Amino acid sequence: MSFFGFGQSAEIDIHLDGQETRKTAEVKTEDGKKEKLLLYYDGETVSGKVNISLKKAGSKLEHQGIKIEFIGQIELYYDRGNHHEFTSLVKELARPGEMIAHTSYPFEFSCVEKPFEVYTGSNVKLRYFLRVTIVRRIADLVKEIDIAVHTLSSYPDMNNPIKMEVGIEDCLHIEFEYNKSKYHLKDVIVGKIYFLLVRIKIKHMEIAIIKRETTGSGPNTFTENETIAKYEIMDGAPVRGESIPIRVFLAGYDLTPTMRDINKKFSVRYYLNLVLMDTEDRRYFKQQEIILWRKGDKQRKPNLQAQNTLVASHLVKNEPHQDNKENQNTTNNQSQQQSIKEDFTRANNSQSTENIHNDPFESKTTEAPIQNMQREAGDGQIDTEASAEQ
Amino acid sequence: MPTTPQQLSPIEEQEKLLDEALGVVKAQAFQMKRCLDKYKLMDALKHASAMLAELRTSLLSPKSYYELYMAITDELRHMELYLLDEFQKGRKVADLYELVQYAGNIVPRLYLLITVGLVYIKSNSNLKRDLLKDLVEMCRGVQHPLRGLFLRNYLLQCTRNVLPDVPEVDNEDSPEGNVRDSVDFVLMNFAEMNKLWVRMQHQGHSRERQHREKEREELRILVGTNLVRLSQLESVTLEKYQKLVLPGILEQVVSLFPDEFHIQTLRPFLKSCAELESGVNVKNIVISLMERLGNYSQRSNVKNIVISLMERLGNYSQRSDGVGMSSSNEPDHPNGFLADVQLFEIFSDQVSSIISTRQYLPPEDMVSLQVALVNLALKCYPAKVEYIDKVMLSTVEIFQRLGMDRLESNSMVARELSKLLKIPLDHYNNLLTVLKLQHYAGLMQHLDYSEEVEQALSLVSTLVADQSDQPSGEIDLEELSEEQSLLARFIHQFRSTVSDQQYLILIAARKILGAGGQMRIKHTLPPLVFQAYQLAYKYRDNKKEDEMWEKKCQKIFQFSHSTITALVKAELAELPLRLFLQGALAIDQIGFDNHETVAYEFLSQAFSLYEDEISDSKAQLAAITLIVGTLEQISCFSEENAEPLRTQCALAASKLLKKPDQCRGVATCSHLFWSGKSLVSNREEIHDGKRVVECLKKGLRIAKQCMDVSVQVQLFIELTNHYIYFYEKGNDQVTVQIINQVIAKIKDEIPNLESSEETEQIQKHFSNTIEHLKSRMECSEIDGVSYKDIEV
Repeated sequence: MSFFGFGQSAEIDIHLDGQETRKTAEVKTEDGKKEKLLLYYDGETVSGKVNISLKKAGSKLEHQGIKIEFIGQIELYYDRGNHHEFTSLVKELARPGEMIAHTSYPFEFSCVEKPFEVYTGSNVKLRYFLRVTIVRRIADLVKEIDIAVHTLSSYPDMNNPIKMEVGIEDCLHIEFEYNKSKYHLKDVIVGKIYFLLVRIKIKHMEIAIIKRETTGSGPNTFTENETIAKYEIMDGAPVRGESIPIRVFLAGYDLTPTMRDINKKFSVRYYLNLVLMDTEDRRYFKQQEIILWRKGDKQRKPNLQAQNTLVASHLVKNEPHQDNKENQNTTNNQSQQQSIKEDFTRANNSQSTENIHNDPFESKTTEAPIQNMQREAGDGQIDTEASAEQ
Repeated sequence: MPTTPQQLSPIEEQEKLLDEALGVVKAQAFQMKRCLDKYKLMDALKHASAMLAELRTSLLSPKSYYELYMAITDELRHMELYLLDEFQKGRKVADLYELVQYAGNIVPRLYLLITVGLVYIKSNSNLKRDLLKDLVEMCRGVQHPLRGLFLRNYLLQCTRNVLPDVPEVDNEDSPEGNVRDSVDFVLMNFAEMNKLWVRMQHQGHSRERQHREKEREELRILVGTNLVRLSQLESVTLEKYQKLVLPGILEQVVSLFPDEFHIQTLRPFLKSCAELESGVNVKNIVISLMERLGNYSQRSNVKNIVISLMERLGNYSQRSDGVGMSSSNEPDHPNGFLADVQLFEIFSDQVSSIISTRQYLPPEDMVSLQVALVNLALKCYPAKVEYIDKVMLSTVEIFQRLGMDRLESNSMVARELSKLLKIPLDHYNNLLTVLKLQHYAGLMQHLDYSEEVEQALSLVSTLVADQSDQPSGEIDLEELSEEQSLLARFIHQFRSTVSDQQYLILIAARKILGAGGQMRIKHTLPPLVFQAYQLAYKYRDNKKEDEMWEKKCQKIFQFSHSTITALVKAELAELPLRLFLQGALAIDQIGFDNHETVAYEFLSQAFSLYEDEISDSKAQLAAITLIVGTLEQISCFSEENAEPLRTQCALAASKLLKKPDQCRGVATCSHLFWSGKSLVSNREEIHDGKRVVECLKKGLRIAKQCMDVSVQVQLFIELTNHYIYFYEKGNDQVTVQIINQVIAKIKDEIPNLESSEETEQIQKHFSNTIEHLKSRMECSEIDGVSYKDIEV
């Protein structure tokens, strides 16, 4: 890279080992396009060769040293100047000197820790890249190459179904159930909605998957809600006692694992939003967080078998309905909701000491309180509203 | 979609909408087929989905929707054929089954799912059963009647050739399914379609009702297809039909057709029910039908609905096989149409035939059938008491036939029976009406004794407890107490020849009456307590026959104790006090084992009531007098118990508030020490002359402290009377001097009294006393007591 067109210049090429066979992953770029990058996992060695070819044969290239860096960084779009590097490894390839001919330097970052997954959101970007720098007096020659990183999780130990009775008094009472609280990215959400009381004329019902990206901290917190998918699960008006099956395949949507407080810079959470629309276009909705995680591809079961379980598992069971008619006022604000639940759990613990060691999730799901749904007029976008409140 | 400004007629509008929709379908179908030709499956699916999206419309009438549906399903056939072809070449269906479920809208998604599912089943019959179940379940997502009906029709149409039709083999769980799965599948689909179809009639404005009914008629055929499908299953054997298919269908029939149809077809319907093989659960069908008709007739009391029904029924009854049409022409008779078909007679006949033909029907089921029958009769013919009575009679007959005289309490049958007996009570709320039921009592006899009493009490339940519907205004206390005294009299009638039964009855009555609230227990519990005392006497009288009588008596007194305590809790004080005293007397007389302690307990309860609860001075005096009287009578105490009680009485008497009261109380107590009995004195009077005189002296002292002269004199005279009494009884501690002193004192004071009515009375009292003394003196030396020294 020469600004003046004179002097020696060089072409840098980074060749990663196994480039031809390594799996690739699609990563979104900032302008919304997708590019294929080589995929690495946490702890994998990143190695390869740096080829430097001189542009003008014969003349030499003087440099103050050549180095290669492995960098993981978080860029906040509103703070472009500052990149937060959470990983930075440097290897020196050549000492200061002169380069006469085409040279190739092997490098290896062995067993690199890659704690986070690459992510491109609306306000933040997490990327990993290799950067080769030929240090020169006037202008360094730099070459960067991005790689993709996926973090894998194992099956969660605790994966209780989400079961809750929600409603608006004397208007609509439903009980919904999602079979799990943690889904992997290729999972299927199976569940059912049971209508306990219907006094409104429902037009249809849908499930939306909402991604909530929170960046920054304190007063500089930005929240961005994005509806990833809308999925109609019922058409027409049900009567009391009707139960409606839910089955949503996640594999087809553009999802990432749930990320919590990545390097204290940002979070990405996912919510299932159950929305009922009445004939006057009022929306009734209830959001419920789900945890998404990435499963390793290798253990994937044969397709046919998976299909089989999925067919059987969704079938509507007639379970007794919990009539825990405890009205709790919840607002859109997720943090507030959370605190209410915690209260609930704590009260539970003080009553019986046996429960102390239980996972709070457990008591939450078994004694699902009835909570108020939100209702709003017209077709106002909930997403914007939710973010406005935060 | 540009709308034309001028108003289109509904038909034109429908045509226009249909044309537009068909246009889209045609275009999309064309695209789809082109993509299929190019093997671009994804794009083809996209176009298919766009085409199917037309079926999401709510604007089309059923007829137009049907045309649209036909056009689209026609096009879907191409897709199906292509897919079948593909999969025979070895493409994976499972992926596609997942893929089509990404469609965002449910109607297109489910149509595609059914289409792909069908191909899936055909390519892999191992999944047949699960897939069929899955499909019919997923279709629940469409709750819109019209769209749901057509969707389910499509499901039925697609699966018509793949329904498993092999006979059921025992213990074999084949993934391909058997005929049972098919029947379940179709019946479920049938049930759901029925629901949707019935729901159609309740939608939209009532002015479009007729129009809607017409549309529904058009859709009837869709629902019926289910039955056709069932009939095409070859493996449905006679037995299967009876056990599985017919009951399912009948239940649907019950919920499907309008009520008025049912009323007319009752006879054949029930006849066919009765003819069903045993093993078919007819009970549910019949009961649900009866309930439905019962509700129907209640609803229909709304006049105008009835009139419109009358017109229809008039027509029906002409066609129907001559089941009396006489009353159908009287529109002023709201239940005329019911009389038309003699609803009750039909049911009662049918029920009795069901009961008699089915030997193995458990008795509780028989009774519950009767319960349903009574409900029906009450709802439809509230005025016809004889119907209820008829049911009662037939129930009695059933029991007689079964040889069940006494039903164990708490058994299923007994529970059903008491349900049956309670219905008329709840409904009529009027004892007289219930008493018109001749067989009611007969039926009641079948119950266990204690249940009988419960029943009897629930007869008068309005009296027994606060009613929830009581007017919130002020209750007329007088009226209440009057009716409660009647109830109390009624309680006195609870008698049983066997004492043990009597005890159970009392306990049952106590339970019910105890819930009556404060206003009532005041009246209702005392008779119970007295009954209990009587019962205890009875045990004593029969002590030779019953070895356990002492234990039982103790039980009874425990019962009385707790009952009285209930009254105490109701913040009544004087009443329980008296009951306790009465109890103590009874205990004394019965003399069972351990009776002394119990009697002591009763008396001490009475004392504590006296101390804690009674505050009015007059009441206090009355209470202490009563206690003294009781104590005087009781002879069962040892000295150890008797002494404190007596002293307590004297103490209590001297602590009364008013001086005159004190004086009188103390004077009364004096008798305790004379005629009181205890075990030491061998149940004879103790004649403790010294204490007597002490008491009387104290009385004199107190009397002297009185300010009011007239009261003082009055008290002196009363005390004189006491002195004379004891003197006559031969108490050597009472001397002539004392009597003379007191008489002299009185004589001094009397002239000082102001003349008034009161004074007159006092003088009269005094002169009477003197008279008495004089008469005694004349016939002196009776019983060895000398009167001669008394100065008159």
